[in-house]
Amino acid sequence: MTLKSDPAVEIEDSSSPAVVAPSVPVPGAPSDLELMLAIQAEDPEALSQLYDRYNGILKALILRVIHNETEADDLLQEIFMEIWNQAKNFSAQKGKPLGWMVTLARRRAIDGLRKKQAYARAEERLQSETEQQPEAWVNNATQEEIAFGDTRVLVREVISRLPPAQQEAVDLAFFRGLSQREIAAHTNTPLGTVKTRLELGLKKIYDGLKELKDEL
Amino acid sequence: MSFEEFQNDARLYVIGALEQEETEEFENARKEFGQKGEEYIGECYALHEAFALSLQPAKASADIKSRLMAMVQERKKS
Repeated sequence: MTLKSDPAVEIEDSSSPAVVAPSVPVPGAPSDLELMLAIQAEDPEALSQLYDRYNGILKALILRVIHNETEADDLLQEIFMEIWNQAKNFSAQKGKPLGWMVTLARRRAIDGLRKKQAYARAEERLQSETEQQPEAWVNNATQEEIAFGDTRVLVREVISRLPPAQQEAVDLAFFRGLSQREIAAHTNTPLGTVKTRLELGLKKIYDGLKELKDEL
Repeated sequence: MSFEEFQNDARLYVIGALEQEETEEFENARKEFGQKGEEYIGECYALHEAFALSLQPAKASADIKSRLMAMVQERKKS
């Protein structure tokens, strides 16, 4: 299978609160789904295009987990290789290509963090970064930025509506792969409180994304 | 477990934040809710995408792509 040059029709689950890709492909460029199908047919050019489209997002995700530039680059390469090797397991009926890639990248990054026993070092770096930038994950978006329709800003705006304690709980769970008990220990917070924060935080983000999708 | 409780747990489940005993309970409820439950779990995975998109994209080292594509070509040959 080779890539078509025709404009793509992206198959999306209309019930999902999914958000649009950060870099919208130029008109006529293959959709993410078409690229995935081409990768399944072992077309290297499709992987090349998918890399160009999403390496920045996936690198940011990996970096957020492991806090090491060199390791993040190595892992990024491994993840795209895994995308190539595991593409046959992707099913459009279960979700969008970006969601599949992010899930894969997050799992690999968290595994990498644990395997390399860099946990303690990352924690120190994170602690240092948190002290320097207490709201490093999300900053309040301006209305002007929102008006530009930048997806990242819109998503961050949804997340920034959360109280800091809920943001922290979601951040530790998603970007560091901590369990509720680990979050409770890390933040010196009762387990029940952590669960409530996660439940409320995730529900607000989920509902916010639904609204966002309607607006978009 | 009500469907509302299932929805709450589904959002925790997709980010791996359920404790082991909660996961077992969730998996049982998942079977009970069938297709409706599976569809909701699928929707929750959009959270992953959203968290990734909330980050400022980072620049990868310039030689990563060339190394990747060389590995892919090598894999295709073998």
